[in-house]
Amino acid sequence: MKNKSGIIVITVIAVLIGLIISIQISTTDSSDIGGLIPVAKAQGLELELKKLRAEKEAIMQEYLELEARLKEIELKNLSDDALLQEATRDLEKYKMSSGVVDVKGPGIIVTVDDPPPTEDNPGDGYSIIMLRYDLLLSLVNKLKEAGAEAISINGQRIISVTEISLAGDNVNINTVPTAPPYTIKAIGNPDTLSSTLSIRYGIVDTMRKNFGLVVDIVKQEEIEIPRYSGAIKFRYAKPIYNTAEEE
Amino acid sequence: MKSRKVIIFIFCFFLGLSLVVLTKVSNGQRLYVSPKVLEDYRISIEGEKKDMENLKALVEETENKLNEYIRLQEEKEDLSKELEKQLFADIALYSFASGFVAAEGPGVEILIDDGTRDLEFGEDPNDILVHDSDLLLIINELRAAGAEMISVNGQRIIDQTSISCSGYTVRINDQFYARPFIIRAIGDGSRMASTLIGPGGYGTLLKEYGLVFKVTIKDNIVIPEYTENRNFIYMSRVTADSAKEGEEN
Repeated sequence: MKNKSGIIVITVIAVLIGLIISIQISTTDSSDIGGLIPVAKAQGLELELKKLRAEKEAIMQEYLELEARLKEIELKNLSDDALLQEATRDLEKYKMSSGVVDVKGPGIIVTVDDPPPTEDNPGDGYSIIMLRYDLLLSLVNKLKEAGAEAISINGQRIISVTEISLAGDNVNINTVPTAPPYTIKAIGNPDTLSSTLSIRYGIVDTMRKNFGLVVDIVKQEEIEIPRYSGAIKFRYAKPIYNTAEEE
Repeated sequence: MKSRKVIIFIFCFFLGLSLVVLTKVSNGQRLYVSPKVLEDYRISIEGEKKDMENLKALVEETENKLNEYIRLQEEKEDLSKELEKQLFADIALYSFASGFVAAEGPGVEILIDDGTRDLEFGEDPNDILVHDSDLLLIINELRAAGAEMISVNGQRIIDQTSISCSGYTVRINDQFYARPFIIRAIGDGSRMASTLIGPGGYGTLLKEYGLVFKVTIKDNIVIPEYTENRNFIYMSRVTADSAKEGEEN
């Protein structure tokens, strides 16, 4: 009799242990990359990202101050010859067209994020907007069509050679890896820009309805778009001057 | 008898431990995030680091220039000559980069045309037609493969160029074009060609659909300049002062 009660106790304990082990396994195995991660770890990364962004802001400010000092020297030393003044103005226009200066103006800010995970659709670890980066490409094309003068995605200025390409697990823009949420800034007529995007069955409609993406458009009086941070140089292309010397 | 008690004790100990662990991690808040969130942060951090490197190089370059000017100034040399030279060098570079000067160099020429095969029963004719999205994706692939200058049917593609379908034609820089489309790109020809026609490349995909897609690597590609005038109505330059103001606001 004494022996039997011992066996019952052990059975109960074994069942409980088995239950606990199975619970543990089921919580760590619900995703294909490798389970859920404590929120603290994500907060740590978020903090690091914030710090990096602040640091970048500081470097940008330093750069602008250096530029201002250069400008000062130029103003003091360059003779006020009419031709040179004209050339300085031309340079300004060319620099703005090339995307190598920070610019500001009215426009819209579009944010695109993956659908939040729900009970029915917990998401299986991949990002829809990254796999369908052609949606971003199309969105940018629509903004250009609506007359956007400057566009950036997650701080990357769109210039004439900017690519949006899936490289491995990353979406590279200007060869800089980016991840959702995507913030697209565009300077132009805010009304034209936002209604071009949000037209029925347009690009934003498609993104929301067909892909479940969370898209938000905000019009703003003034937004700032950073310069292209890379160096502009040409290895293959050479200019041809003989054709167009007027102007 | 004693050994059994010990075993039960150990079991109970572990059971209690795991219960404690379970209750400890569930204190009401959202505790876990999906690995995707973490991965997104990791990529963003990587990107910001790369961007910062670029900016640092930029700062260094500007600093060097400034120091050079200051040095020349102290040596009582005439700075205006140096500045003039720099001004015209900058104009040459940026007018070229912004598309106001025609370009030549090695690269690829791509011909895309609608497919000539017969449609299968019930098939959508759109399957064998060239669309604006095809052109967009091809141009994007070319850029990813390091294209420096691109034109479509002789229209220079600049940063503001949009490509949009309007009925049977495609509008590029406010000019209308119809099939066939000839895309020219200056850059590393073999790299661009292999990106497009390699396995999984976009050109390969179009060919499978039955469209005409031909890539030719050429030594001398000529790309004309952007002919329209560019005036900016909305945007203006951010300077060091205005950036500070913006921060205070």
